[in-house]
Amino acid sequence: MTIPREVIEVDDATLIERSLDEPEIFAILFDRHAPLLHRYVTRRLGPGEAEDVVADTFLAAFQRRGVYDRGRPDARPWLYGIASNVIGKRRRTETNLYRAYIRSGVHPAEIPGPQVEDGVNTLAVNRPLARALLGLKRADRDVLLLVAWAELSYQEVADALAIPPGTVASRLNRARLQIRQALDQEERGE
Amino acid sequence: MHELKSMWSTVQPANPGELAGARRRLLDGMRPRRRFVTAPRLLVAAGVAAAVAGTALVVGNGTPAYALARSPDGTITVTVNELRDPAGLQARLGAAGVRADVTFLAAGTRCAAPRFAAVDATYDGPPATGPDELRAVVNESRSPKAATVTSVRTIRISPEHIEPGETLVMEFRDNANAQAPWRLGTWLAQADTPVRPCTPVEDTG
Repeated sequence: MTIPREVIEVDDATLIERSLDEPEIFAILFDRHAPLLHRYVTRRLGPGEAEDVVADTFLAAFQRRGVYDRGRPDARPWLYGIASNVIGKRRRTETNLYRAYIRSGVHPAEIPGPQVEDGVNTLAVNRPLARALLGLKRADRDVLLLVAWAELSYQEVADALAIPPGTVASRLNRARLQIRQALDQEERGE
Repeated sequence: MHELKSMWSTVQPANPGELAGARRRLLDGMRPRRRFVTAPRLLVAAGVAAAVAGTALVVGNGTPAYALARSPDGTITVTVNELRDPAGLQARLGAAGVRADVTFLAAGTRCAAPRFAAVDATYDGPPATGPDELRAVVNESRSPKAATVTSVRTIRISPEHIEPGETLVMEFRDNANAQAPWRLGTWLAQADTPVRPCTPVEDTG
């Protein structure tokens, strides 16, 4: 890598600010966050559209970088918020993925044949989870998965979706309840 | 919540190859329609372009057998597209500061063990009695932290988990599958102890 070290070590907010004068700097933000964002999108939409969604997200972010709140050194909430909107436009892909998983038990991006088997029957857990995710309202699902899969904090989710923390909490509670019920039902064999 | 967190967690972060198209789209989209190029800006652009070329090496038309990239956090990402030239890969790792012993094996074979004295039980420790114990051994050991398979073609090497003098032993086996070209066994050999050459033996497991 020939990007100067000082550029690599600064926080996201500084990179974004510098990218106003030197747009190419924005590519460093991509290198920093695209691999995990891609993973998040792949879990939600499958591998087919993940790269497109990542590209759309970063292009939208690049266009809006002028209004980025420089008080936030970590750009992940901002990027995942934009990604949530992009994903929302592809809701059908997401629901199709969950449906296909319920039918086949296969997520197309899971790597087959790891050397260490985890020995747990994940399918018995994942299938009711997929069914529950399918039944969630979009807004609730966004909040739930930003916490569970993107590992954002409540405050970060609030920042990402531009909603009050109280709304994050209530959406999360509702979604968790539905998830819990789905798992309990499965255990009782309903 | 725990169940949900584990759901599809084996989906891997994207490697540079999987992101090359998106990165290109971003770079294309960044170009203003009209712009005044100044000397310092050109320098930065050259730096970024060189970095792009670096990733392109991994996925370009003449795909090389392997490639190394150092990340800002000090880890090294090794992309192995093809099991060719183990000595070359070993030399590249050496140049990157990782003393390694690399073997490429044909499908259905493994190296006769033991070839070296390992730093932990992941190489020739007693067989685990179940998945929980296996997981515990993996969690306690340094070898799996030193080198981790991060996708079907990439490995992340973390030099911070390799003590001075230790050798990272890597045994790649042809997986006879174009989607997942190889499997990897990787362990740390104790500091300044020899690693004997690999004697391939049949392994149908």
